[in-house]
Amino acid sequence: MKPAVGAAIDRVDARAKVTGQAVYAAETPVAGVAHAVIVGATIAHGRVRSINTREARALPGVLAVLTPDSAPRLPPAESNPKNPGDKILQLLQDDKVWYTDQPIAVVVAETLERAQHAAAAVVATYDSTPPVAEMRAVIGEAFDPIELGPNGKAVTTRGNLDVGLAAAVTKLTQTYTTPVESHNPMEPHATIAVWQGETKLTLYDATQGIFGVRNKIAKLFGLEPTDVRVINHYVGGGFGCKGTPWSHVGLAALAAKAVNRPVKLVLTRPQMFSLVGHRPETLQTITLGADANARLTVIRHDVISETSRFDQFAEPSAVATRHLYSCPNVVTSHKLVRIDIPTPTFTRAPGEATGTFALESALDELAYALRVDPLELRIRNHAVRDEQEDKPFSSKSILECYKQGAARFGWAKRAPDPGTMRDGDVRLGWGMASATYPAKVSPASAIARMKPDGVLLVQAGTQDIGTGTYTIMTQIAADAMGVPVEQVRFELGDTTFPETPVSGGSQTAASVGSAVKAAVTTLKAKLTPLRRSPGETWGQIVARSGQPEISFEHKTEKRSDAHAYHSHGAVFVEVRVDPDLGEIRVSKIVAAYAAGKILNPKTALSQFKGGLVWGIGLALQEHMVRDRRTSWAVTRDLADYHVPVNADVPDIDVILVDEPDPFVNALGAKGIGEIGITGIAAAIANAVYHATEKRVRALPITLDKLI
Amino acid sequence: MASTVSADSELRTPAGLAIGELADGVVIGGLARYPATGQPRVLAFAHAWSPADDELRALRAELRGLGAELLVLSPRGAWSVRPDDPVEALPADQLADDVAAAAGRYGVVAGHDAVFVIDGGGVLRFAHRPAAPIASGQLAAALAIAGRELRRRATPARPADRVLFTRREWSVTCLVVGCTSAFLAACKQQDKPAERKPPAPAPAADIPTTIDITLQINGQARKLTVDPRASLLDTLRETVGLTGTKKGCDAGQCGACTVHVAGKRVVSCLTLAVMAQGKDITTIEGLAEHDQLHPMQQAFIDHDGLQCGYCTPGQIMSAAALVRENRATTDAEVREQMSGNLCRCGAYPNIVAAIQAARRKA
Amino acid sequence: MQPFQYLRAESADQAVKAGTHAHAQFIAGGTTLVDLMRLHVMKPAALIDITGLPLDQIEATAGGGLKIGALVSNTDLAYHPTVSAKFPALSEALLSGASPQLRNMATVGGNLLQRTRCPYFRDGTSACNKRAPGTGCAAIGGFTRPHAVLGTSAHCIATHPSDMCVALVALDAIVHTHGPRGDRAIAIADFHTVPGDHPELESVLVPGELVTAVELPASPLAARSHYRKVRDRASYAFALASAAVALELAGPDGKARTIKDARLALGGVATKPWRAKEAERALIGKPATDDTFQRAAALALDGATPHDDNAFKIELARRTIVRALQRGAS
Repeated sequence: MKPAVGAAIDRVDARAKVTGQAVYAAETPVAGVAHAVIVGATIAHGRVRSINTREARALPGVLAVLTPDSAPRLPPAESNPKNPGDKILQLLQDDKVWYTDQPIAVVVAETLERAQHAAAAVVATYDSTPPVAEMRAVIGEAFDPIELGPNGKAVTTRGNLDVGLAAAVTKLTQTYTTPVESHNPMEPHATIAVWQGETKLTLYDATQGIFGVRNKIAKLFGLEPTDVRVINHYVGGGFGCKGTPWSHVGLAALAAKAVNRPVKLVLTRPQMFSLVGHRPETLQTITLGADANARLTVIRHDVISETSRFDQFAEPSAVATRHLYSCPNVVTSHKLVRIDIPTPTFTRAPGEATGTFALESALDELAYALRVDPLELRIRNHAVRDEQEDKPFSSKSILECYKQGAARFGWAKRAPDPGTMRDGDVRLGWGMASATYPAKVSPASAIARMKPDGVLLVQAGTQDIGTGTYTIMTQIAADAMGVPVEQVRFELGDTTFPETPVSGGSQTAASVGSAVKAAVTTLKAKLTPLRRSPGETWGQIVARSGQPEISFEHKTEKRSDAHAYHSHGAVFVEVRVDPDLGEIRVSKIVAAYAAGKILNPKTALSQFKGGLVWGIGLALQEHMVRDRRTSWAVTRDLADYHVPVNADVPDIDVILVDEPDPFVNALGAKGIGEIGITGIAAAIANAVYHATEKRVRALPITLDKLI
Repeated sequence: MASTVSADSELRTPAGLAIGELADGVVIGGLARYPATGQPRVLAFAHAWSPADDELRALRAELRGLGAELLVLSPRGAWSVRPDDPVEALPADQLADDVAAAAGRYGVVAGHDAVFVIDGGGVLRFAHRPAAPIASGQLAAALAIAGRELRRRATPARPADRVLFTRREWSVTCLVVGCTSAFLAACKQQDKPAERKPPAPAPAADIPTTIDITLQINGQARKLTVDPRASLLDTLRETVGLTGTKKGCDAGQCGACTVHVAGKRVVSCLTLAVMAQGKDITTIEGLAEHDQLHPMQQAFIDHDGLQCGYCTPGQIMSAAALVRENRATTDAEVREQMSGNLCRCGAYPNIVAAIQAARRKA
Repeated sequence: MQPFQYLRAESADQAVKAGTHAHAQFIAGGTTLVDLMRLHVMKPAALIDITGLPLDQIEATAGGGLKIGALVSNTDLAYHPTVSAKFPALSEALLSGASPQLRNMATVGGNLLQRTRCPYFRDGTSACNKRAPGTGCAAIGGFTRPHAVLGTSAHCIATHPSDMCVALVALDAIVHTHGPRGDRAIAIADFHTVPGDHPELESVLVPGELVTAVELPASPLAARSHYRKVRDRASYAFALASAAVALELAGPDGKARTIKDARLALGGVATKPWRAKEAERALIGKPATDDTFQRAAALALDGATPHDDNAFKIELARRTIVRALQRGAS
């Protein structure tokens, strides 16, 4: 039988999605569910002095208005400041206001229309303190973060900067900035909270991590984790904002308790800009030095990013700089600045997306200074091992990515001088950059159940946020059992299934996939000796046993840290720029990626392309603006906050570079959900420079920066 | 045993168990099924019932609404139904005896059916004794009665808002200007004597908070009671239960809610349901012909024109209309004509490929 | 959304009568009104549904122009063969606006009355003289990248968002209305008002006055008309700057022909669809050259007032004008 893994099969959940049958969290049928709407603060810093709810409460169909005065009290709960996944939530437990739109009241009503109307009738007064809305206003107050969460230390040093600078014949120091970005998955965050009595709670929640939600809510409400069940079969995109539970999840549970009825709370699109995290603004200063052979002698990458007054999240932008190139003298650092904003969070390729913009732009600048082709500069500085960790890579095929990507793109035909390639009046620009993202894996578990009818049911409490989890797990299980994919059913999105990590950090395929493979492999080993004849099917064995099923659950162990594990890629971009109007159109993208074993090329290509589309947004469009006086999110809808539309995106040519990796995990697979957005922003910025001779170091590159 | 059976809820059971009193446990197959564990339970005696997929969806919705688990007892079987798990058939040793014993404790006469709701503290909160047996497919309806009744008791009544035009004023306006007969007839039906006086500032009266409408959805006439403020989108999702149409922005900025009204693609979030009356409405659920996918749906599968799937119904509805409109041929034209449908996963190149494939076939 | 009474008008007279009430609003496509009602920016107590009125036809006028019913959808207007052939700027403007779905819903009358996208107007809470007269203007001193540089006042700098109206200005359109005091015809350039001291007033319509049609007069300018829009993404975005031009050229084809007559209107940069009369005068009688275009473009932006974030719009608008004129003349 031809292996299923590696085959470009259709998504197993595609039919449900194209027919409208896939049920997302807010769509779970719940009879008599009441609707909750959050009322947000209109100041950024201060206290709620009073909230007048009389008019709201008098409106028809209003069941309750929860305020800091009236909301049920929760037991005191601490958050772990070292864990950026454990956010401090605002659950109407006190009158402090930390950011605009912060929940200060929740209205619950019989219908959504009534709840929305009543929410607008709630009137609050405040004792307000002038907020700080911009990082640069208080940049002098930057401090060292506790740490970088999963990325470890905030500061690293190898070699000696002075030595590196002394050895350089060409040096540059530049500052790059990336703006606040808002994830805005198409499905707004939503929670339906259903209490079963006083102590059992079911949440239908749009999340990338059902177990994270379960544990956090259990802690907040003083419940046992097993008394909280989180269910989520389809997630309408996440990109990081659904990676950790936010205030609205707790508020939904609180509201349901208050009205003694199931409650549905769906965030409005404007609330998506303030209540569920964002990618923080970064200010990155990079120093590069190279010798006469264009070999890097020094890299310094200092990052400052914004965080809230009450919590910490540091964008780990300089993490990739530690290992991407060979260089004896490298210093990286991260600092934070507190301003009056909500807490930022993980956003598709946190760190690498923003950091590679700075590093790969700086390398492009260095290439021009050295008069070396940008691609050649990267090849000359290829790192054979992870020089920061002093470990071999489990696999690294970036040179092959450069080669195949450049060949497909036709890079050799690039005119080296900027501003010289034209198509009529339109300026053409070609730029490139390296892409990289860690190949993470976490312990995970899965259960494999063989049914008497021959169906292999595999369950794991993971999520499919559009990444293809349903599909690739089905493929992995089919191969491990030696059955066709049609005979496999994979279920996810329920905390009663075996525990798995958050669907973040591009780790789901590797982590859950390894657990699925092990569980099914062991089940098969368990069933094999029970076979009476060579022709007996797995289902017949179970049927004969008289049991409803034969099952095996497996939990994977932590991976060896003998290697450094990363995916790599090379991105080549053409832009067309109108020289008068400054309009930029990305007209061609060729990207080559080496990410271990590709489990399903069909879904994998979609993942890579999606990341690249995000890169177009990061490079050219996305900018969440706050009012500099009030810290109010001014771009608070999808008309003002621009994400790429269909017409912004050209045909994208993705090359999958074959990369066997015996060390990375049992599947040989590396995560691919995030690498697509790394490198691309710099490649576009570099192409814009090549087209226009204008180096834009502050994203997004909107047309006003070119005219 | 008394033989009074009533369709009414809330009545004293012959055994003396009344609403507000502690209910007894039920023992099936030697296991106590209803101790007071803190979780509400629904106990149904339904001697003709057996689980069927069609009803289970509705049943699960009712159970979620009640925050409860359900135990169905009949002499032929006993089932535990939870909102989000497979139905569990309970071991049936001595089932008839166990069910008879339980029925006795709850005062259910042999051959009759009943539904009881017991809260987490073990207190009986609701009892419903239908005159006729609960047939397969009707248990969800019986639970719905329980849910409505329990919610009604919990919900206080509220006053209504101020209105601008009384019905009379509107009809006066309509008379004064001599409107068309259809409207006039409607006015007369509502408000008999039409006085000749100019509209005055509206006196306090009730703005209707609900309105009865009929929508033609996917070829089916649906009589609905909605808030006049309800969008077509919220009506589809919250009232009709057709959740294939997605809410992305609720402001006409993303296209996730695209449906066809009178054959044209529109955003249902900015369409008032009340204004969609009399027009054919097609949603993603109505695009396929029974099991035969619409060619655009198949093309989206073939070309992986989706990832998370949330924008997908809107994309497909938009794309299906695009083909019909016949105004886009090149990739660039397709991209432009599809730019009202945001896809945050970035499936655009595959969406264009899917549309071009379906368009060429059409 | 506030509760409202929903009333379906069966005649224009009936609609007008009901519409005279200060708290009543006409509704047709709903793309502006439903959105702003949900944001609690507009709070009508009654909606008069006018979609049943017979105002959905496009008819040729005796003079060779077109009369477009107020309920004609933006889509139907944009693709109408006469419009795309004889009034190309109007087709181009319509098709550069919104999305196919919204264009199917939005009507000509509604587009005339589109309301600003100023985020401080839309957020429902910021100080805004347009939404809540007398409360001030939060945009001034705030984030002003989307805001106007022409026609602003100390009380309001909100940009008029319509593309269609900019083209209509260049095409000398006439707005026909039916109101409590009868019918009237209003030149499009006089239809919208600048904010001045009363940003809450956006047009010369009186309460209850219903737009019934927009007339495009036959004009030697219209055939050579063009709309150019510049925005932050390739589609589905409001204009940062736009220009509608209509030119009548004299002389033989080939080298620089003489501009016999010209219309120039701007979008994205002004508080109303902006007619640049000075610039038009600078074009008329001059050769259709880049020099002429640049002089006109400079004049069109004379007196423009930038705020913190939108100074770029002045240069961008000039360049957009030049581009539109180049294209219109070619």
